Amino acid sequence: MDVYLQDIRKAFPETVALHGVSFEARPGEVHALLGENGAGKTTLMNILAGLYQPDEGSIWLGGQRRRWRSPAHAIAAGIGMVHQHFKLVPPLTVHENLLLGVRGPLWLHRRRDAARVASLAREHGLDVDPLARVWQLSMGERQRVELLRLILRDARVLVLDEPTSVLTPQESQALFATLRSLARSGRTVVFISHKLEEVLRAADRITVMRGGRAIATLRSQDARAADLAALMVGRHVTPPQPSPPPPGAPVLEVDRLTVPGDRRPLAVREVTLTVHAGEIVGVAGVAGNGQRELAEALAGLRPIASGAVRLDGRPLERATVRDRIEAGLALIPEDRLDVGLVGEMTAADNLILKSYRQPPLSRRGVLDPRAVRARARAALGRFSLAVPAEAPVRLLSGGMLQRLLLARELAEAPRAVVAMSPTRGLDVGAAADVHRALLEAQSRGTATLLLSEDLDELLLLADRLAVMYDGRISAILKRAEFDRPRIGLLMAGGAA
Amino acid sequence: MIRIERRAPMSREAAAGLRLAGVAGALLAGAAFLSATGHDPGQAYLDMLRGAVGSPYAAQQTAVKAIPLALTGLGVALAFHAGLWNIGAEGQLAMGAFLASWAALGLSWPAWALLPAMGLLGLVGGGLWALLPAVPRALWGTNEIITTLLLNYVALLWVDYLVFGPWADPSAFSFPYSRPFPDAARLPLLPGTQVHAGALFVVAIAAALGFVLRRTAWGYEIRVTGHSPRAAAYAGMPVRANVLLVMVLSGAVAGLAGMGEVSGVIGRIQQGISPGYGYSAIIIAWLARLSPWGTVGVAVLFAALINGGFALQTSGVPAAIASMLQALVLFSVLVGDFFVSHRVAVRRGRAAALPAQEAAAEP
Amino acid sequence: MRMGWRRGMLWALAALVAVSLAAPGAARGAAGPKVAFIYVGPVGDAGWTFQWDQARRYLAQHVPGVQTSYVESVPETADVARVENDFIAKGFSVIFATAFGYQNFTIDVARRHPNVTFVGIGPAIKLAPNVSTVYGKLWEGRYLTGIVAGKMTRANVIGFVAAHPITTVVAGVNAFALGVRSVNPSAKVKVVWTGTWYDPPKEKQAAQSLLDAGADVIAQHQDTPSALLAAAEAGKWGIGSESNMQRFAPKAYLTGTTWTWGPLVEKIVKASETHAWASQDYYGNLRDGVVGLGPLNPAVPAAVRAQVAEKKRAIESGRLEIFTGPLRDQTGKVRVPAGHTMSLKEILTFDWLVEGVEGKSPK
Repeated sequence: MDVYLQDIRKAFPETVALHGVSFEARPGEVHALLGENGAGKTTLMNILAGLYQPDEGSIWLGGQRRRWRSPAHAIAAGIGMVHQHFKLVPPLTVHENLLLGVRGPLWLHRRRDAARVASLAREHGLDVDPLARVWQLSMGERQRVELLRLILRDARVLVLDEPTSVLTPQESQALFATLRSLARSGRTVVFISHKLEEVLRAADRITVMRGGRAIATLRSQDARAADLAALMVGRHVTPPQPSPPPPGAPVLEVDRLTVPGDRRPLAVREVTLTVHAGEIVGVAGVAGNGQRELAEALAGLRPIASGAVRLDGRPLERATVRDRIEAGLALIPEDRLDVGLVGEMTAADNLILKSYRQPPLSRRGVLDPRAVRARARAALGRFSLAVPAEAPVRLLSGGMLQRLLLARELAEAPRAVVAMSPTRGLDVGAAADVHRALLEAQSRGTATLLLSEDLDELLLLADRLAVMYDGRISAILKRAEFDRPRIGLLMAGGAA
Repeated sequence: MIRIERRAPMSREAAAGLRLAGVAGALLAGAAFLSATGHDPGQAYLDMLRGAVGSPYAAQQTAVKAIPLALTGLGVALAFHAGLWNIGAEGQLAMGAFLASWAALGLSWPAWALLPAMGLLGLVGGGLWALLPAVPRALWGTNEIITTLLLNYVALLWVDYLVFGPWADPSAFSFPYSRPFPDAARLPLLPGTQVHAGALFVVAIAAALGFVLRRTAWGYEIRVTGHSPRAAAYAGMPVRANVLLVMVLSGAVAGLAGMGEVSGVIGRIQQGISPGYGYSAIIIAWLARLSPWGTVGVAVLFAALINGGFALQTSGVPAAIASMLQALVLFSVLVGDFFVSHRVAVRRGRAAALPAQEAAAEP
Repeated sequence: MRMGWRRGMLWALAALVAVSLAAPGAARGAAGPKVAFIYVGPVGDAGWTFQWDQARRYLAQHVPGVQTSYVESVPETADVARVENDFIAKGFSVIFATAFGYQNFTIDVARRHPNVTFVGIGPAIKLAPNVSTVYGKLWEGRYLTGIVAGKMTRANVIGFVAAHPITTVVAGVNAFALGVRSVNPSAKVKVVWTGTWYDPPKEKQAAQSLLDAGADVIAQHQDTPSALLAAAEAGKWGIGSESNMQRFAPKAYLTGTTWTWGPLVEKIVKASETHAWASQDYYGNLRDGVVGLGPLNPAVPAAVRAQVAEKKRAIESGRLEIFTGPLRDQTGKVRVPAGHTMSLKEILTFDWLVEGVEGKSPK
């Protein structure tokens, strides 16, 4: 079904998200919607899916002008969307999730539906056990359930929002094969992404958005990565160039560390790692293989079962969080807001989160507001951050939040940094800034353990790369051994 | 299409105006209702106002009534700052009153020694009672809303037991009253007023709380813990110890309110020393957005509404309608407050103008 | 955003104007006395407070020019002093403060207002020249209802749902049991204390537990008809208290005690106009009509009716004193020797239950 969005305008109370965007996609094609965070991609697709009403502009579907009364109305008309956060019910089985929201007396058609599900799944490579409970599934499997559900509802237009953000490279590959197959069956497939490479690899055509406007639509065989990046960012972004100093003495040593998990008995099993001064060691892995627990255990936020952690030779495994901070161990947590930063508090208050008990910020337990403000000015100035000092930081963009967090954590040249997915959800410019800050710390001799689900990031920054699967380090590779397919295999649990 | 949206932050004046408009709306609605039920709204409002602040006596009585509301409100607000829901101020007040009464009935000390002892015991009684739910909360994360609430019943029944049993006044025909306190156990009135010295507790605690929360490292920890306990743990703050400490202090302030009531107002311990001050405290703290002086201000408003409500009845308005007016004013303050951060957006109804054939084109 | 402030002011102003336009009507220039009533609960449709409001209506009908007013739901704490002061400020000269717990606070207010007549609820803790208390010898009525229950029971098990184990309630339970045993020595009275004057679900549960224990008549000393209703639902007999509760369960209602304050209130108000009402701790009884019986169920046989009427006359004339020895307690020990009749003072310190009552004794 042809999709045509004409001059769509959408304003929110404080911003204009879309300034008259036009977009068209055809049956049989895979169309990528490329842009940075905040470019308006998701808003545009939410309008197509009936979640928002446009202020101006019109929606045409198969040559007919449509207005959605509700998301259900759009679904009934054949629009299906897979959101970034899946809308599945974890305690229910796959089959039950598929039936949710389907109208009519379900029980009459269970058998027939089951057969149909199986054949559709086979046809498009969407294998998944219909009797498994959703909470037991990997993210990739959950995504397949979402897609199956849309196909079952006869969705002729499929929209996926950042579909690869939770997938391994292998899973991404499989997903794109599925999308191709769905397009071949006459459906219109649109996916949102901010990753240049996958867009070039998987799409027939690419529409680039920036700042609430559609900048260009290109055929992917005519497009080059550098041009796309420039269109997307509005200027040329120079990726930071790592120039690692020769590694120094061991700083952060992890010896046979074993950590209990929340759901499983052991989330981290006998992990042994050493990070030297001036070295960035990357940890690759699909989310949920123990990375978060490893980072938390290193920071002292999670009790360990056994093993040792040393910083500059000093045992830390029994030390309190405070002792570790004072020993020079910094943590950039996965959740910027709510862990790394307090959303309701100002930038100045957030910048003293770890040093509020030290003079001159406080003396004998009494805070000195002037010293707090001076500290904020200095830190913000050093990282050239234009952050309002008195507003709660939850109003800031993700990029600003991460810069603020780095300004605090890296300000005092920590001995070691544990960074957990530091660029997740950031736009290209902000991600480059984060990378620059990490490289700068490296050049000053900081030992960095970088845990990330973004393989490109790891390949760019890491001097050595550890692959984590099921709580264990399955391999540690030197820069010369970096090999994407091999790493992907290791991440999926294969032997190297 | 009409929908509710968050709005950009407002100036202080605009916010105050909006809240005032809310109250005005409530008064108009109340006037309509009073007229409809055959009462004279002008007279009723005058009576209410007079009963609350219309004479030196009334104004001072409103101040007296505000003391327990403000103290329990401050205690609850402190807990809220740390992200703890202390629903147990009612019971903590009762236990503070209990321990203070124990001294008043048992020790024949002079006032200069007895009153500080009673104040201290009031703090201790409320504090220990709050420690009970604080320990499981700190160690195992047990929901303090439920435990503090349930302990209220235990505390009130304990006081009932005492005043019906061991502490019953032999001359009160086994009605639930203790013997009257000796004069040495009665809080003095502030010179030249009818307001007892508990008012000083309010001022001292509000000032201390404001300073501690805004200006001390510990207060900073409390605010971080309240907004985000995970951030507090991440920054190496002693979250568990602070949970215990905050709950104990919160309960202690409520306990002091109990001491003030038995020593300053009632002059004995009895069944029903508090007509739900500890529960009103929760609303008061929230209406004041947890600001210490704001809590004191809202407590005075509450006290004025309660006393004004009684006065309203004396001019023939039934209690139910008086309560309704009180609720209406509170509700309007809340609504006004809501619209300080939200607004109603009205758009032309496009969906409604959908042409029929388009709608019929559904598969 | 200054607009918001202005708009708010405008609305507030509009509200004030509207209110003042609607405003009074000068107060009625009444010549008669102004009499105030303070109630501990809501007036409702039955119970202690309802009976007092009946007295207020009676007064309004029988004393020309009298002006009455009331305030409901005043807790037994310092609030009552505020309400009294408010009434005094409005020119009320007689105040009926109709709960025992008001006494402690009333006495202080009365000291400052010697020209106002205060009437509290006895037994008196302390009197003053302008402070009286009133109560009634409820046990006289209870004895008569006991006779009816003793005659009507088939199971020889009678339940009694009682509020608090205070002396006046205990005296009523004892009188009831003595009435039962005077006509049916093999019957037992099982008593359950609810610990509350007003809690319908709890009273119902208490009655249910007695029905489960085999009782086929349920008597009560509570402020609601819940126990009676529980008996009615189970198809058993019930005996009311405070008000004539017949209309709540006409089939099950055997009879019950009632309060009638109207004539006494009229007498006090008229006498206080000439300062002829002497301060006293007054006890009404069957003879002056303060204590009475509700209508007897048609199912009560004529012989029983005659017996009740005869005993009533005997009590009214003083021929029958209920608490006359020998009286044994629950353990069979003689507490009142043969020939001795308990004085009023002794009755008001009852802390034991007579033989034939099963249930926890107050001490």
